[in-house]
Amino acid sequence: MTGSGGAKPLVAATDVSKVYETRDGPVLALDRVSFTVPEGQFLSIVGPSGCGKSTLMLLIAGLLPCSDGTIAVGDVRIDRPYTNLGIVFQEAVLLDWRRVLDNLLLQIEVRHLDKRAYRQRALELLALVGLQGFEHKYPYELSGGMRQRASICRALVHDPPLLLMDEPFGAVDAITRDQLNLDLQHIWLQTRKTVIFITHSIAEAVFLSDRVMVMSARPGRIEAQIDIDLPRPRAFGVRETPEFAAYARQIRRVFEATGIIRDTEGERTTTFVD
Amino acid sequence: MAESTVIPAAVVAARARRAPWWTRVPDFVYPLAAIVLGLLVWEVACALFKVPLYLLPPPSRIFMGLFANAGLLLNHSWTTLQEILLGFLASIVVGIPLALAIVSFRPVEKSVYPLLVGSQVVPKIALAPLFVVWFGFGTPPKVIVAFLIAFFPIVIDSVVGFRSVELEKLYLIRSMGANWFQVFFKVRLPQALPNILGGLKISITLAVVGAIVGEFIGADKGLGRLLLIANGNMDTVLLFAAVTALTIMGILLFLAIEILERILLPWHVSRRVENLTGTM
Repeated sequence: MTGSGGAKPLVAATDVSKVYETRDGPVLALDRVSFTVPEGQFLSIVGPSGCGKSTLMLLIAGLLPCSDGTIAVGDVRIDRPYTNLGIVFQEAVLLDWRRVLDNLLLQIEVRHLDKRAYRQRALELLALVGLQGFEHKYPYELSGGMRQRASICRALVHDPPLLLMDEPFGAVDAITRDQLNLDLQHIWLQTRKTVIFITHSIAEAVFLSDRVMVMSARPGRIEAQIDIDLPRPRAFGVRETPEFAAYARQIRRVFEATGIIRDTEGERTTTFVD
Repeated sequence: MAESTVIPAAVVAARARRAPWWTRVPDFVYPLAAIVLGLLVWEVACALFKVPLYLLPPPSRIFMGLFANAGLLLNHSWTTLQEILLGFLASIVVGIPLALAIVSFRPVEKSVYPLLVGSQVVPKIALAPLFVVWFGFGTPPKVIVAFLIAFFPIVIDSVVGFRSVELEKLYLIRSMGANWFQVFFKVRLPQALPNILGGLKISITLAVVGAIVGEFIGADKGLGRLLLIANGNMDTVLLFAAVTALTIMGILLFLAIEILERILLPWHVSRRVENLTGTM
């Protein structure tokens, strides 16, 4: 699924801006961002640190208010925390005092759903990511990658149509990260949720997504939207194909054009441009 | 760390052989040995230097005094215990909601906090006679003094605990659609519990001090009163016996909170098995 299909998009952002009050005065974090996400699409948002991508995710989730513009998920205009989604942060954010299974079931408890009915689903999700046998462990007994897997399961246990992920693999080592990329693709192919995935890794974005949105540095704007037309399921080997490299190059060029990456190799300059 | 591995028997045996003998002794042996050693030195010193009984009785005499006055001591201990527990409970009932109010409402924080700190500077021992004038010689003044000393650490530690919730946890639970009560009982309170329990441990020992101070000022019952009588009669054996009883009571109360902590916080970092990283 690529591009924006004819059907009504699941997520629609129109002219969204966000201003933060800081000690040094107001700061424009997002500048009139507009985009749509069709249902079932895996969208990645790539951008440098501080470009507002995490802010954008919090705005979509309704956890922060927009300073200007509107966001809609389905028919709902977002002006308060939107609950029909699953959210994953860079840190696993598991409750230390609950065992893994109970952490997943927190999602069910808060929503006043039937815990017994969802227990089986929770166990199945844990098995899907390789955490079977760890349901009754405390988070401190798990490694970082395992905790993040658990938090992804928590975001899926109530079967939401939309998944928001803010650099979920950022705090994990590179080897585990590669494995988690594969696991996430596996889950997504099984469940076909709409996913908005934030990352600063170009390779990760191209590997996982149907479409990549490239953001500029602060104030965040959308510089480019690139459809990734690689066949699925994508194995690791796809990273070595010329098509993959072409997409990565395309994204990198946007960064170079906007000054986010400065490739001075060819220029043999010793001055630092700040 | 995560997956459990079977340690080869040879490695287990080698570790056991190499571990110094003092690491294989259970923890409680250490303070026990220190106490026994101290008591022995005390006993010997008293005999050696022929210390008069009214000055410093040897441990053997104190033990005898404990058993001889057992009924008396238990009676007065019970009175003091009631005062301590009432003061302690009052400080929890007032302290924790106050901490919650400080954390939730800026105006409360700005007005109450400085007054709270200021109130702690006032020595309660100076106020205790006033409470006796107002409330008489019975239990209330002691409970009030115990409460006034004990509730401050609870407030401070609870405030720290309630504030220690990471923003992401709040984002997470809000995106699940939680209301204020769910946020409080499922996230804020459990997160604050280690801090609150730490505050309770300090408070219980302060409540003991407060009750005794209250009894010093004006009482007709209680261990503090007994201490004053023994002091007045130069009955040093009874004095020490009463102090011993008080100490035992304080230790038991502290241990009760420790046990509560063990039950409520099996997951906390302070409860995990110590390993090669040393005594910290």
